Amino acid sequence: MMGGLELNAARQARGGGGDPSRPYGLYLVCWFLGSILVAFFTVPLIALTLSQSWTNFVGIARMADVRAAIGLSLEGALLSATLAAVIGVPLAYVLARTEFPGKGVVAALIDLPLAVPHTVAGIALLMVFGRQGVVGAPLQALTGLRFWGTLGGIVVAMLFVSAPYTVNAARIGFEAVDPRLEKIARTLGLGPWRTFWRITLPLARRGVLTGVTLTYARSISEFGAVVILVYYPMTAPVMIYELFLRFGLDQAAGTAVLLLAVSLALFLILRALARSAPERENR
Amino acid sequence: MSGAPNAAVAVEALTLTLGAFRLDAIDLAVGAGEILVVLGPNGAGKSVTLETIAGFHRPDRGRVRIGGREVTALPPERRNIGFVVQSFGLFPHLTVEANVALGRRRPAGRHSAALPGGGEPNALLHYFGVAHLARRLPADLSPGEKQRVALARALAGAPELFLFDEPFSALDTETRTQLRGELKSFLRQLNIPAIFVTHDRADAHTLADRIVVLRQGRIVQTGTAAAVFARPADSAIARFVGVDNILDGRVAESLGAMANIAVGPRTLRAAASSAIAAGTPVRLAIRAEEVAIAGAAAGPELNRLDGTVTGLQPQGPLVSVAIDCGFALKAYVLTPQARVLAIGDAISVTIAPDAIHPMQS
Repeated sequence: MMGGLELNAARQARGGGGDPSRPYGLYLVCWFLGSILVAFFTVPLIALTLSQSWTNFVGIARMADVRAAIGLSLEGALLSATLAAVIGVPLAYVLARTEFPGKGVVAALIDLPLAVPHTVAGIALLMVFGRQGVVGAPLQALTGLRFWGTLGGIVVAMLFVSAPYTVNAARIGFEAVDPRLEKIARTLGLGPWRTFWRITLPLARRGVLTGVTLTYARSISEFGAVVILVYYPMTAPVMIYELFLRFGLDQAAGTAVLLLAVSLALFLILRALARSAPERENR
Repeated sequence: MSGAPNAAVAVEALTLTLGAFRLDAIDLAVGAGEILVVLGPNGAGKSVTLETIAGFHRPDRGRVRIGGREVTALPPERRNIGFVVQSFGLFPHLTVEANVALGRRRPAGRHSAALPGGGEPNALLHYFGVAHLARRLPADLSPGEKQRVALARALAGAPELFLFDEPFSALDTETRTQLRGELKSFLRQLNIPAIFVTHDRADAHTLADRIVVLRQGRIVQTGTAAAVFARPADSAIARFVGVDNILDGRVAESLGAMANIAVGPRTLRAAASSAIAAGTPVRLAIRAEEVAIAGAAAGPELNRLDGTVTGLQPQGPLVSVAIDCGFALKAYVLTPQARVLAIGDAISVTIAPDAIHPMQS
């Protein structure tokens, strides 16, 4: 007892305050290195924003084709995120709850689009969904639906590169749901479907929403796959690229700032929604 | 065992293979209002047994009957079961009221009328004394409140059987003791049969009307709590139910319902449930609380052992006394009585013959 007190007093005399168990030196080094990365992210975006005069910015924001391009990006991303939720969340559930031969292969396939250069993804998609593609050709013959030069093509390109985020985040969300809660729901008289809707999905909600939000954000920002499949009508990233090629940095930068402002605002709203999604449900 | 025709719940020859694990011909019968404790070490198959009764595993063979109804082929939602798991398993995203309301979803329990308030959620919460918590979320509740809500929810569907899968295992000893007592009195009032699975012998001691000991997927002993604790079937069970003195001996003389058994240099008189032939090696189970310190002046008695104190160790209100009387023996005395004892003191103890339980060696 006395020994312990003396030891503490000695430590305080030597170190001068602070919790002696905390590795302050380590924190300091990590903060120093980490802040380089934070600056690396923020400085270019701030520089881009500051490069614009307000009048120039307002002028660009009033241009109909710029607005149309941003609108098309948001619309395509919304459809892509919705599709990812409809076909990606079920896949996440079976990956989280079942064992099957080839599960590792399926999980690796899900991650594959993250490793493929997006121009490569665009070319591959063109071969399948294009004029002569195995899906594109018959689908046009049967339904008139086209994927080249249409919103459909934009959505296909966006979905390919962004759906993995939904599957992976939702899978983590489902894996975190205690299977015993599902078992209890069953003994309380809920069938497997009701158990999924009332218990499993609400409890995995945060993972699912995080994934869909990331898919949405990634879809808005997609350039490489979209530009190969659909140059016209132009999404915002494609338009920024074209403005850069034709008129140089200034024109492109104004549109870029506008897209940045819109997508940042949306992303913040969605993040806030995912975090504060209703904790309670009464009936 | 399996035959019990009037049992409210009967499990017959339940056999199941799950990977490398196998449940082997499990027979259980639970009478109306009876609490059956399935006791066993981790990995014995207790939870698998419970989950098979609840309908989460399809048995290879065997049958499950609940309330006279064969349910072996039914999914869990049609078995009329109340299931309570570790930490009580309340749905964290639903209020207390909504948790209980979910329990009402089961298609018309046959005995709803007998429930407090006809099984209406608020009436059930009232019955368990937690109506004031109706709008709270489970994260805000104490373990005691969680247990009451879990019972209310399980009861809402008018179950014909309660299943408990180690509900107390994440709690501290004091809370455990308190909740155990509460659970027992609720189950007594409700008069619904219950199967309670645990590896904690104190759970078993307090709750059980009968105990089934499970080991490696097999039933190794069945009996009342008193019988299993005093007369374990083998030395592994004896250790598991907390028998401190397990002595190797040999039958010196068989006297029908009694036997004289040589242990080291001493001979002990033991009650034997069946005659054991002289010369048979046996193991004796003697609970430390059955070893009585004898007054120094007392005359010669049956099973009186003289020895010396070799160790004293406080254990809560008791002191465990290690004694060398030709073999090592452990006894318990109350703390005030232990003050007069010191290591090296001469000591005499007696053990009643029916507190000495011979087991197969």
